[in-house]
Amino acid sequence: MKRYDSQLEIGGTKLRSRLFLGTGRFPNPAVLQQSLEASGAEVITFAVRRVNLDSVEDDSVLQHVEDRSLVYLPNTSGAGNADEAVRIAKLARAAGLGNWIKVEISRDERTLLPDPLETLRATERLVREGFVALPYTSDDPMLCRRLEEAGAAAVMPGGAPIGTGLGILNPYNLGLIAEQSGVPVIVDAGLGSAQDVVQAMELGADGILVNTPVAKAQDPVAMAKAMRLAVEAGRLSAMAGRIPRKPYASASSSTEGALFGGPYAAGSAIEGRRAETSAEGLRR
Amino acid sequence: MKEELLVVGGGIVGLSCAYEAAKRGGRKVTIVDRGDFGGQASGAAAGMLAPYTENSEQPDPFFRLCLDSLRLYPEWAEEIERLSGISVELTHTGSIQVALHEADMLPLRTRQRWQNEWGARAEWLDAADLRRLEPGLSSAAAGGLYCPEESHVYAPKLVKALEAACRRLGVRCAGNAGDTVDLMLDGGRVRLVTGTGGRFEADRVIVCAGAWTGAFERWFGFAVPVNPIRGQICAYHSPIGEVRRMVFTSQAYWVGKRNGTLVCGASEDIAGFDTSVTERGIARLTRWSGRVFPALADRSPVHRWAGLRPATLDGWPLLGPVPGAPQAVVAAGHYRNGILLAPVTAKRICDVLDGKLPAAELAPFAPDRFAASARTLG
Ligand SMILES: Cc1cc2nc3c(=O)[nH]c(=O)nc-3n(C[C@H](O)[C@H](O)[C@H](O)COP(=O)(O)OP(=O)(O)OC[C@H]3O[C@@H](n4cnc5c(N)ncnc54)[C@H](O)[C@@H]3O)c2cc1C
Repeated sequence: MKRYDSQLEIGGTKLRSRLFLGTGRFPNPAVLQQSLEASGAEVITFAVRRVNLDSVEDDSVLQHVEDRSLVYLPNTSGAGNADEAVRIAKLARAAGLGNWIKVEISRDERTLLPDPLETLRATERLVREGFVALPYTSDDPMLCRRLEEAGAAAVMPGGAPIGTGLGILNPYNLGLIAEQSGVPVIVDAGLGSAQDVVQAMELGADGILVNTPVAKAQDPVAMAKAMRLAVEAGRLSAMAGRIPRKPYASASSSTEGALFGGPYAAGSAIEGRRAETSAEGLRR
Repeated sequence: MKEELLVVGGGIVGLSCAYEAAKRGGRKVTIVDRGDFGGQASGAAAGMLAPYTENSEQPDPFFRLCLDSLRLYPEWAEEIERLSGISVELTHTGSIQVALHEADMLPLRTRQRWQNEWGARAEWLDAADLRRLEPGLSSAAAGGLYCPEESHVYAPKLVKALEAACRRLGVRCAGNAGDTVDLMLDGGRVRLVTGTGGRFEADRVIVCAGAWTGAFERWFGFAVPVNPIRGQICAYHSPIGEVRRMVFTSQAYWVGKRNGTLVCGASEDIAGFDTSVTERGIARLTRWSGRVFPALADRSPVHRWAGLRPATLDGWPLLGPVPGAPQAVVAAGHYRNGILLAPVTAKRICDVLDGKLPAAELAPFAPDRFAASARTLG
């Protein structure tokens, strides 16, 4: 049984926060910095193609986070196949961005959905090359299992296409992935607001990666804090064990043995018991 | 009696609002700046009118505002030139967003797809096309997106021309008026008091204080989170035509001006209200310049300067009346696009003053939209 205060560990690194933040699309660096602070995120992700690889310290985004102790998760977004993704990953490592890589491969400019075959191929190769590979993948349980077998350090199924804010379109699949996975499951892409984050964590995710829903929120700093709280709330809620769903009401305060039973006390207690019974019946 | 209108802040936004209000007539317009006219960020800007390049994601209300403004520009600029006798050097070069990696291409194609539905007429350039259109580009450039509609102006001249046009139209221009120490909005009137003892009274006020607009929150009564983001920028000597179009990359842009300079910008620094130029900030630009345009590798910029962009939490400007004090209107927070947005801002704000535009139309830009979350965060 997982304990709610246990630490997330990926590729041998223990992480303080289960919230990963993407640095793209922020309206300006001040808002990025304040959002990063409010999110408590320790892992940040960014597109390698946007980074000034000649001198990372000169980079227009990374220069604003350089004095924080963060784990960099560069991503291969824009890659259309495994070859490109591997090339991008090597460029990032050579530029001193570390050996974590989020594999992100798409060839559909409209949905940006990950290409499953190329993602699997790239993951296999990157693992062989010594990378800590975190593939962004569709929410397919079998594919996630194959990625794990290929050596992925974590799997990152999407809730919905990147940037759509549609939330978790297939909670059933995501639940299966979380249940079966031997490596951490980080739900990535498509989330819209804190409720999606809570849902993902309740479904058993080990962490969340968000970018657009924070960066494009009206107040990104407030949303970053909301996301941090949602990760915590969702995880606690999952650990705490929720009540079973029932079709009818059951009184939240039992009137039996109440100090001051009202005139209708007896009647409502009976109603309450009836509701319990029929719910039991439905469950069987 | 004519309505009295006070405009606070003499940058591009304030000048454009004063100009538009005076042109429409029926008001006595006064514009005040605590310093000289021409603004702070406004005089520093590269003058690019680039609604497509600046909005790569989706056709949201901000993109549409930017696009409306681009379409207003030719007529607006011509009128200002006519009134002022000053050329603002509106130049229709088009722009190229360069893909330095193969991985840059997919997002550019996404952008091209939706923007062409909005009239961008953007064309994909392969490496050979690029070399033909912009021979000075490094051979590392893999392709790019050409956006023919994007243009630029010479911002320092545009603010001069606007000031001259305002004066021509009888706007009272009160420069070096000192910083605001009080703004009274009770009783439906407006009274502004400055640190040097200046007193201004009017029926309505438009606050266009750029990066300093946050200072007005104590008089508005709600949070106005505007951050100054410093942009360092420089210019090379460059024969006209060396770089023919505006060229954008993830780290910097270049735009050739008619005075024989090539402007290269710009950093986005968090440095409070400090407007100084740093060695590191400029070196970043020059190193990158040499990489993208090899001919610049052994040249040094001849000018360097910096401006403070007014940045809001969502990157969109604050446009519209102050709730609870409708005689006060805000036009600020234009961040990277104040030059582009000047005409549309002035027209929308004057439409609000004239009662022609319901404030709800400007809801995405409501000046108090951050009030609730700011209160919650404390
Ligand atoms: C390096 C750089 C490059 C840029 N390039 C572009 C570009 O290519 N295209 C584009 O569209 N935009 C560009 N911008 C952005 C653009 O410059 C700004 O969005 C725009 O200038 C903002 O105009 P403003 O009038 O609000 O602010 P400012 O020009 O800063 O003017 C504000 C004025 O208000 C005055 N003021 C402040 N407080 C008070 C007070 N209490 N009382 C009286 N006066 C007051 C100040 O003295 C100042 O004159 C660039 C900005 C920078 C820094």
